Amino acid sequence: MFVDTVIEDKALHKPVFLIGLSVTVLAIFFALNFTNTLFGEFLRPVIGDPTESGFFGRLAVSLVLTIIFVLNLLAISFTRLKVQILIVWVELLLLFLAFAYSFDLKMSFIQSRIPLMISRGLFTTIYISAISIVIATVIAVIGAIAKLSNNGFAYAISSFYTSLFRGLPLLLQLFLIYKGLPQLGFMVDAVPAAITALSLCYGAYMTEIFRAGIQSIPKGQWEASRALGFKFNLILRKIILPQAIPIIIPPTGNQFIAMLKDSSLASVLGVWELMYLARTLGQRDFRHMEMLLTAAMIYWALTIVLEVIQARIEKKYKQKS
Amino acid sequence: MSNKFGFKKSLIVFAVALLSLNMTAKAGAVYDYIQANNELMIATDANWAPFSYIDDDGVMQGFDVDVGREIAKRMGVEARFITPDWDVITAGNWNMRWDVSVGSMTPTASRSEVLNFPATYYYTPAAFAVHTDSPVTTLAGLNGKNVCTTAASTWEMYLQGDLDMLNAPAFTYDVTPGTITSLKDGAMCADDTRLGAGVRNDGFIDSVPMIQGAIEAGYPIRFLGDPAFHEPLSLATDLGNNDPELDAELARIIAEMQKDYTLSLLSIQHFKNADGTSEDYTLAY
Repeated sequence: MFVDTVIEDKALHKPVFLIGLSVTVLAIFFALNFTNTLFGEFLRPVIGDPTESGFFGRLAVSLVLTIIFVLNLLAISFTRLKVQILIVWVELLLLFLAFAYSFDLKMSFIQSRIPLMISRGLFTTIYISAISIVIATVIAVIGAIAKLSNNGFAYAISSFYTSLFRGLPLLLQLFLIYKGLPQLGFMVDAVPAAITALSLCYGAYMTEIFRAGIQSIPKGQWEASRALGFKFNLILRKIILPQAIPIIIPPTGNQFIAMLKDSSLASVLGVWELMYLARTLGQRDFRHMEMLLTAAMIYWALTIVLEVIQARIEKKYKQKS
Repeated sequence: MSNKFGFKKSLIVFAVALLSLNMTAKAGAVYDYIQANNELMIATDANWAPFSYIDDDGVMQGFDVDVGREIAKRMGVEARFITPDWDVITAGNWNMRWDVSVGSMTPTASRSEVLNFPATYYYTPAAFAVHTDSPVTTLAGLNGKNVCTTAASTWEMYLQGDLDMLNAPAFTYDVTPGTITSLKDGAMCADDTRLGAGVRNDGFIDSVPMIQGAIEAGYPIRFLGDPAFHEPLSLATDLGNNDPELDAELARIIAEMQKDYTLSLLSIQHFKNADGTSEDYTLAY
């Protein structure tokens, strides 16, 4: 973002804002009523039995929580930017872990299932996504060129394709391919059906991204290349695409991340990928939350890896230009 | 699990389709395919302990799975399990994705429009369960309430009042719920019921062994009254790829397994009562 040279006082250090914030937070905590939770137990010496503390107890608990919250914000505001970011990340992560911990999870159960979730589930998820990403990218390049061409057939086919596959829910496409194609005599199994649906759906989205990326290059670039006598293919490969790719990469990375998680839809066809195992492995012992949270953490970790890769690639192209 | 043989199988199916120029395979085609491929493809929903589930090592286990393995063994071929959702199995039109369903399916008139039921292999009672704090004490107490069940199941048909079971013991509709909440499987219903009476539902209906399993896992639920009805549970094959030879072979194997008590032994091994005794569900009511 644009770095402003005009530095204003921090909002948190203005008394009016601070008081307004405190009152709002107090109202929220009061409305949510934390009296009968762990916080109420902590304040037992002050408010007595939390269940019978009534209005006073509720107010006291909210007040204490508000003070902790606002003091925490103030303390963070005096640190440097990088430290601020780190502290907020850690605090949010701790809150999430507390949320997970509150389910009374059985760790030994998770440990005994994790090898299977990774060796079977994560592996299947990754290979379905990876193949789909490659196919979708190829479709997108062809689709974008077709959509930009003057050829009526190419334009009509590609615009019909993007309209149809962006217009249907992915799950519906999955069922159409899995149940519909065999009736025409083309037998597709669950995994090929999932890969086809993911590729076609994300290919349609990425066609639009590629098209917009190519179109964002000024017309003058085409005209100048033409004036130099270059052929269409050469202009595209050597002049237009190298400029368009840095624009295309951020939204494409988003699509990859989204596709990784949408591959979980293959679970309805009985493919043993991460989501399917998460739903199924806790079954015999009726321990569903353990498996769902484990899968959540694995998906998240995978997404973080993709985000880092995306950031690296973006940085590389930034340096080049 | 089902991916490895996709291409090979699709080629064969495509060839069959080309030769016959219509989608109905000739009699015996499925059975010949099983023998030629040396593999019986068995469909069963893996979300149904103790009937079928995935164990720690990623291997299918359970009563249905053991029955399926035994059938394949007696056919002299390998068993291979495929785990689509329940409603995908009951919808028929399998297109030879799998050969037989060993998944505790009740023969009904509506299902027999798309499926064959070659052999009944056991019988289970279906019962209602409610939260332990629920004020409901009789089946009639659930009338007008919100009752949870599995989509496309016989229990759902029972709640809707149009359960058209074939060859089943007589029963009466004892519960007319106000709302029927149909979810993906019974475990989701149990998860909702344990939140409390009337929170997401007022109770659910499922098979007695499944409810028993949930109670043993510490769910705060209890059985409500006597079992609502008893259902025969059968193997199923695809009517679209009608194969009398396969059906006859499956019926012969099940009869054999009943005669030498293999089925009874498997039932005793998998189905336990609250007091630790075992249950033989293979006897007709």
